Amino acid sequence: MSLDHPETSTEKRRPDWAAFAIAAVLAVIAAVIFFDVARVKGTAGYSQVGPATVPEWIAFGLIGLAIWTAIEGFRGDFPKRDRQEFGPVVWVVAGLAAQMLLLKTAGFSIATGILFALVAAGFGRRKLWLTVPVGIAFCLAIWLIFAGLLQLSLPAGPLERLFL
Amino acid sequence: MKQFFLASIVAGALALPAYAADYTIMAPAAPGGGWDQTARSLQAALQEEGISGNVQVVNVPGAGGTIGIAQFASQQKGNPNALIVGGYVMVGAILTNQAPVTLADVTPIARLTGEYEAIVVPASSEIESIDQLIEALKADPGAVSWAGGSAGGTDHIAVGLLAKAAGVDPTKINYIAYSGGGEALAAILGSQVTAGISSYGEFQSQVESGALRLLAISSDERIEGVDAPTLKESGYDVVLQNWRMVAAPPGLTDEQKAAVLADVEKLATSATWQETLKTKGWADTYLAGDAFEEQLAKDISATETILKDIGLVK
Amino acid sequence: MSTFEFLLQGLVSASQPMNLVYALIGVTLGTAVGVLPGIGPALTVALLLPVTYRLDPTGSLIMFAGIYYGGMYGGSTTSILLNTPGESASIVTALEGNKMARAGRGGPALATSAIGSFVAGLIATLLLAFLAPYVVQFAIQFGPREYFALMLLAFVTVSSAFGDSTLRGLTALFVGLAFSVVGIDQLTGQARLSFGIPDLLDGIEVTTMAVAMFAIGETLFIAAQGFRGPEIVQAVKGSVWMNREDWARSWKPWLRGTFIGFPIGAMPAGGAEIGTFLSYATEQRLTKHPEEFGHGAIEGVAGPEAANNASAAGTLVPLLTLGLPTTATAAIMLAGFQQYGLQPGPLLFATNPQLVWGLIASLLIANGMLLILNLPLIGLWVKLLTIPKPWLYSGILVFATLGTIGANPSVFELGMLLAFGLLGYVMRVFGYPIAPVVVGLILGPLAEQQLRRALAISQGDVTYLFTSPIAVVLFVVAALAFIVPLILRARGRGEVLSQMAANED
Repeated sequence: MSLDHPETSTEKRRPDWAAFAIAAVLAVIAAVIFFDVARVKGTAGYSQVGPATVPEWIAFGLIGLAIWTAIEGFRGDFPKRDRQEFGPVVWVVAGLAAQMLLLKTAGFSIATGILFALVAAGFGRRKLWLTVPVGIAFCLAIWLIFAGLLQLSLPAGPLERLFL
Repeated sequence: MKQFFLASIVAGALALPAYAADYTIMAPAAPGGGWDQTARSLQAALQEEGISGNVQVVNVPGAGGTIGIAQFASQQKGNPNALIVGGYVMVGAILTNQAPVTLADVTPIARLTGEYEAIVVPASSEIESIDQLIEALKADPGAVSWAGGSAGGTDHIAVGLLAKAAGVDPTKINYIAYSGGGEALAAILGSQVTAGISSYGEFQSQVESGALRLLAISSDERIEGVDAPTLKESGYDVVLQNWRMVAAPPGLTDEQKAAVLADVEKLATSATWQETLKTKGWADTYLAGDAFEEQLAKDISATETILKDIGLVK
Repeated sequence: MSTFEFLLQGLVSASQPMNLVYALIGVTLGTAVGVLPGIGPALTVALLLPVTYRLDPTGSLIMFAGIYYGGMYGGSTTSILLNTPGESASIVTALEGNKMARAGRGGPALATSAIGSFVAGLIATLLLAFLAPYVVQFAIQFGPREYFALMLLAFVTVSSAFGDSTLRGLTALFVGLAFSVVGIDQLTGQARLSFGIPDLLDGIEVTTMAVAMFAIGETLFIAAQGFRGPEIVQAVKGSVWMNREDWARSWKPWLRGTFIGFPIGAMPAGGAEIGTFLSYATEQRLTKHPEEFGHGAIEGVAGPEAANNASAAGTLVPLLTLGLPTTATAAIMLAGFQQYGLQPGPLLFATNPQLVWGLIASLLIANGMLLILNLPLIGLWVKLLTIPKPWLYSGILVFATLGTIGANPSVFELGMLLAFGLLGYVMRVFGYPIAPVVVGLILGPLAEQQLRRALAISQGDVTYLFTSPIAVVLFVVAALAFIVPLILRARGRGEVLSQMAANED
């Protein structure tokens, strides 16, 4: 991935707030680890390296990396990013979320068909009235092959029950 | 084959009016494991015997079956056509995971099969008998390392029970947990540990070839073809069976429960199921209804006590 | 009868026309299910095992072998073409393979993977046939301390694949390590970092993480580029087939991969991924084209794919000689064997030679069948890339989630898939490499458990770790692998090295 964009090179050597945010996240993960494993201390048995020891090593490592990241961010050594378009990302995430929420009630084909249509929309095919039915038909065919013939346990909904 | 096929169709057709139940069996484990195999064998046998026309298996893996059982109890409540496979491992997992849904929240139907725990040492070991092993354990519990399955599982519980029966502090045992039978067995064969404990089936071929020495087995009475004393007759009052069972959802009426019991009874005595048990090498430890519930209650309370003693449950 | 005669007899019975048909069906079914991201060979075999029940023992054994090899091979196809590893052992394949596919060299990448798998499968199966009893004696020497040393070596060597920024490579690794401690601690049964959520008690599934990070993260990243770039990828540049140079650069990695993968597969706690990591690192050090690593070096596909397949044959060593199922796949195979009345164990070769040799012959046949089926299909597979982006990525997500749902139909698992997908996206945006996260998730628990087992056995005596010759050798090799690059870098050759350690994305 080439992240050095020519037009952004003028901004070099300026503190990078994203780096501080990442450093903060790493530090928070470390803090959560310290907090959580404090419970399981003292159940080590015969090994002095108990259930809390290795997580603590990892947490110390994360703190070190957080400091390092912050320093790089302060010195402006952090790589520059490409411009991101968030519209398509929202479409794809919405597709995955819809599938997750619909899977148990609507069954595999409808839920996954909607995922199919929303991801295609993220990539510019916005004719949902066409892509949703196509997606559902495609996923029903997949369901028939993998659940029907190959015994994969994929959740069945109203549509799949027609074929059971 | 053809006749067999025809016969099963005829049997199915005859059985249809009386037993129209289309069972859904939940295996609270990933495909391939013991519970999944039990569920799929049940599926095959129920269909072959015409007890049920169309049987589905659903896998809900996770956390020693506790995720599956929680989902089963809430979603299938009052459904007389749902079954769940489970086993002794669940008893321990529910306690150690502090699971909110327990075996009290389902309707136990019957114990189908079970295995006993075997204690072995590598053939090169100086330990010749269970008494010698216990002596070593009494002398220095830390020096005796035990390889077995996951912490808090059946194998760990068995070691805890044995230590307690021998008068050794169960918190002092040096139990080395391995993820699967294969890894633990490799550690025992490689003499990395003092002794090993697992279901007898895991060790059987090694014992027969002479690579492992079988010291004792956790059954009530001696088992035919197994050349080792029971723990009980050696003076340690430990009887432990790693069983597998089938249960129904909560909230069934007495008639519904009786119908499920009848179906399972029919299955357990069927030729197909007996054949399955034989090919899979599973012992028939069928126990149904009230007798099973009584045994289950005993197992649960004994397990809770020992897990507290080992320090896994507070 | 001698070993050789048994094998010959097995081959004759396995190559009867009807049995070849079974092998073909098995390979096709295995590939079809194994190609789903998140469904590895273990699950493939588990799901399809019932299909084989209806056949006679020989036919059933052959179909079974076909499913097994088909499932193994299916994973690498999606790795290469779609940057979506089907299972943990083909994660490394995605690193170079997908770069090749994007440069229009998907054909040679698939071919070197197919032929490499065949070569490795062939050699490893023959090694299995003739050396199994000796190999297993070596493998059983490995106790917790030796494994700990091996894991350390894997950590050190694989870190060279972590990209050009030490900071970002290490950060990604530590994020993976942090995720690896989630769930019940195997040695004490204590829940760690699971916050009372039962779904987290079993930890984070490696395949879920890999599918999310690679497939979903990648899709989000490509989507976020908007409509820049062409909608259709140029699928084939030059020949779809391997050229002379490809062959010249592939055959040594195949052989090296085989000899790395086989013994590691034979070790009861080795794991197929470790072999692929080590093979990738080896090829990266030995290649004459270090500048291509990270941009589609064919050695980086040939070696790990061979190692992956050789290690699969390696897992049969402890299974057949000792009855030890050392991987999920092996455990399922054990269940499969039992239906043929085959009780794997030390006496198997003596009591049941026909079946053992029948199995080995079946594996050889299935291996060949896979090659015959897949080489002509490569042209077709590569065409997948010419699907317009909207349909290609919708399709990828459909199959990626299908694999996850098939393995565990839970809403929570899909939620994790989405969360890790977003994490993979954010990491890509900030230039963090993805592979170290998955490496940390795989190696972290292995190293931790083995260290703690070793220390428990020795009752806390640290010197125990260094009193085994095998462990000491591995520690020394790991130390050298760590120190030598530092010295080279200090001498001013860092330029080459940082290029060698190019980013995977």
